[in-house]
Amino acid sequence: MDNELIYVYCLSDSPLRLDHISEQESLKCLIFQGFYAIVKQVSPDEFSEENLKKNFTDLPWIEIHARDHIRIIGEVMQNSTVIPFKFGTLFNSEESLGKFIRNYSGSLTENLKNIKGKEEWSVKIYCNLSLLNQQIGEISKDVLTMEQEILESMPGKAFLLKRKKVELIDKEVQKVMQICGQTCYDELAALSEHTKINNILPKELTERTDDMILNVSCFVNQGRVNELLSVIDELLKKYKSVGFDMAVAGPWPPFSFISIKEK
Amino acid sequence: MQENVINHSKNITILEILDRVLNKGVVITGDIVISVADIDLVYVGLKLLLTSVETMREKRLAIVKPNQETK
Repeated sequence: MDNELIYVYCLSDSPLRLDHISEQESLKCLIFQGFYAIVKQVSPDEFSEENLKKNFTDLPWIEIHARDHIRIIGEVMQNSTVIPFKFGTLFNSEESLGKFIRNYSGSLTENLKNIKGKEEWSVKIYCNLSLLNQQIGEISKDVLTMEQEILESMPGKAFLLKRKKVELIDKEVQKVMQICGQTCYDELAALSEHTKINNILPKELTERTDDMILNVSCFVNQGRVNELLSVIDELLKKYKSVGFDMAVAGPWPPFSFISIKEK
Repeated sequence: MQENVINHSKNITILEILDRVLNKGVVITGDIVISVADIDLVYVGLKLLLTSVETMREKRLAIVKPNQETK
């Protein structure tokens, strides 16, 4: 068809193979000035500005296409270093994509240089607050001291101290969360070339019962990935009993560590 | 090279995927413009799908903001 649009998945400076990709019908590898782009021709009936806007309100549509977007990039990434594109990046024609690549070739080369040999891993830290609240008496010296003081006080003073203890527990729980979050982050950062702090996702969206307290992407040299995973295991062992949990996933396409600035 | 996360993507929540693919990577606008408002709509839709209004109004808990050192 004449007026089909070009949907871009990812780009590299080395030849990209399509034969390793499952369900790869209609995918193409275009070559422009030494860059290889994995694209698909799509119909304006689905991807024109107007229709895309409509489809962006249709979650099942988004889910199918977003999963496909990341699956295809992930499969290409198994054999090559790739720059992933944002979901829904479309050009009117191959020439138009070629023009973009020519205009940004310096930046694309620079980005490829930066991401070679590195992997993006996501680490999320969660805290079960009710468990931490239960444990805080054993972790916090201040809470322990106050409990002792309550036991030794006359009823009137003990009553006031108990009210103060509630505030103290809140404060100490926050403090422990800060310390744990910071300690974990520092250890992850020490092993990473770069880190990026992402938004905390609310409980309603994570569908977990505990709260996310840190959401970080780590960019790690391939040779240090096992070290990163061991460190996460160690941190988990250290903090699990007081209510902390960590979820690690990777390697992702390097979405968080691409920097292409609009000219 | 080891298997990547995508091989297990059936187990990855759509939220986790959207969190990466919507605003990261090459975020250049192509010829077809997706506005920020459209992306916000996706999150609004997700929230409506996954939550009730009551739970959304629950007070958000403390967030750790680590000191990021530049390397």
